[in-house]
Amino acid sequence: MDISTRRLAEKRLSRRGFCLAAAATAATTTLVAGCGNDGSTTTGGGGGGSTTLNDGDYLNYALNLEYLEAEFYLRAATGSGLSSSDTGNSTSKTTGGSQVPGLNSLQTQYINEIAQNELDHVRFLRSALAGSAVAAPTIDLTNSFNALANAAGLGSSFNPFSSYSNFLIGAFIFEDVGVTAYHGAAKLLTSKTNLTAAAEIHAVEAYHAAAIRSQIVAAGSTAISTANAVENVRSMLGGGNETTLSATGIVAADSTNSIGFERTPDQVLHIVYGTGGGAGVKGGAFFPSGLNGNISVTQA
Amino acid sequence: MPTTETQQLDEVIASSRRRMLTLGGAALAGIALSSVAHAQSATLTDADYLNFALNLEYLEAEFYTLAASGQTIDQMGLGLTGTGTQGTVTTKSGGPSSCKVPFANTLVQSYAQEIATEERNHVKFLRGALGSSAVAQPAIDLYNSFNTLAGLLGLGLTSFDPFADDIHFLLGAYIFEDVGVTAYTGAAPNLTSSTNLDAAAGIQGVEAYHAGLVRQVIYGLDQSSTTLGAAGTATAVAAAISKLRAMVDGSNSVSSTMKDGDDIGLGTQQVMLNGSSNLTASAIVNASTTGSINAATTGNTAGSRVFARTAAQVLAIVYAGGSGKGGFFPAGLNGNVK
Repeated sequence: MDISTRRLAEKRLSRRGFCLAAAATAATTTLVAGCGNDGSTTTGGGGGGSTTLNDGDYLNYALNLEYLEAEFYLRAATGSGLSSSDTGNSTSKTTGGSQVPGLNSLQTQYINEIAQNELDHVRFLRSALAGSAVAAPTIDLTNSFNALANAAGLGSSFNPFSSYSNFLIGAFIFEDVGVTAYHGAAKLLTSKTNLTAAAEIHAVEAYHAAAIRSQIVAAGSTAISTANAVENVRSMLGGGNETTLSATGIVAADSTNSIGFERTPDQVLHIVYGTGGGAGVKGGAFFPSGLNGNISVTQA
Repeated sequence: MPTTETQQLDEVIASSRRRMLTLGGAALAGIALSSVAHAQSATLTDADYLNFALNLEYLEAEFYTLAASGQTIDQMGLGLTGTGTQGTVTTKSGGPSSCKVPFANTLVQSYAQEIATEERNHVKFLRGALGSSAVAQPAIDLYNSFNTLAGLLGLGLTSFDPFADDIHFLLGAYIFEDVGVTAYTGAAPNLTSSTNLDAAAGIQGVEAYHAGLVRQVIYGLDQSSTTLGAAGTATAVAAAISKLRAMVDGSNSVSSTMKDGDDIGLGTQQVMLNGSSNLTASAIVNASTTGSINAATTGNTAGSRVFARTAAQVLAIVYAGGSGKGGFFPAGLNGNVK
């Protein structure tokens, strides 16, 4: 897809997002499951631009994303998600996810490592935020992937927990987004301590992203095509900021200066909510009830 | 494999290897600490940090461009001029063209080409951002440096040619990428301009992509035998490189209670997920995990965050323990961080 075509597609799709696109594909008038809040808007809805955001708000925004990643990887690794002591909830608010079957020892090692990393990030951020840490929000690891697959033209359902190759695609969805989110937030933080911590986590997400992207490339053309179909959707929702995956496109970065991409909180919210451009989007896809904290409703 | 090259190498490294090896870890740490004091004595500006980064990017760009193309970056059209003393690139005796790696694995070749392009872009970006304050490319040694480091690994290696083949190239890359990540991470909070911080964070992320890629590929290839030896040999070399870096950088020194200092090598680690203790995990990310055996003794990095290094710590590594110069930069860096 050339740039002009992509821009046109972005204009068309970004206003409706992949949930509505999925609904159209499914030729149904009902919203796709998992997109319950798709398109719902508010006027003057809280979070974001109307009040000044502080470091705690940005760290809580990151914590929401880490909850999502930790739930995904922990469930893939062990079949169980975050424990109540790591979520602030007495019972889990996450649905979906199961241990990936048929792994060889190397694949098990890879999943265990990332799971531990993301669990550590949750614990670190909860510790740093102390009493202001938000509890884990409602997370959907079933309908979200189905809707995303539908929007990407990959069929009506997609289970990233059914095999290692599917797991790689699921991981691919998250890691590059995490990188861009931390990069975008870095310059918004006022405390040097928080900035350093964010930079340290930012890099870990980039290690993960590269490990995942290179494994998909090594898996061959079918896997690469699947990843790039997902990437197209992510690009449309998240303001571009993507490098098409290939053997010479492992790193996601600007092609002219090779500086890594960044995304605003709004752009990240549009991706994880599975809903394109516009203010007032409160939730959807991976976070059916939105993020917890002051960054939860899109401003644009 | 006795060759002309290894014989040359023995001659070349005789003095430096004797000097550095006999000094031992404690003395190396002492050297590094003196370097720390030196570099922190002046107030540094954003431009100083960007020039520090530019020196490192020259090094990386030269390494990858030689490996991928058999050319130096000026042969690819990049400018090398600027403030300070411009130097040349030392390669093995066959010159730049002899450094083009005879890749056997086309994916590894593609990765080399991509990283080469990106490191050249970083050089161009930093030179553009710095304008007339950009430093010239300093003297860079991509021959004796690797041999010296090989001798310091404690594995009985007397030479190391990172341009020999796929796995040697990847291990050469391994030396650089994690260091680049820690250098940018350490410099980020010192930058006063939001624009510079944003760019530095973006480059830091790219270096981490590179590091993750290189570590992933080494670990994957090393599940079977490589030209280095049986399965596991490349992982052991990578682990030794990490251990050496942790020792030379003068902080978080390797000890019985801090097994891996501030550098986690390739290999396996034990993690604890959902109460299941002692699950085996890889160590693709260069960071301590709270579930790992390092958790209790690396409190400042626990939480799966990459390490940050001061400029002086980075210098100690790229100078291979030398004071003010040495290793990859035989005449030192150009600029105010050196």
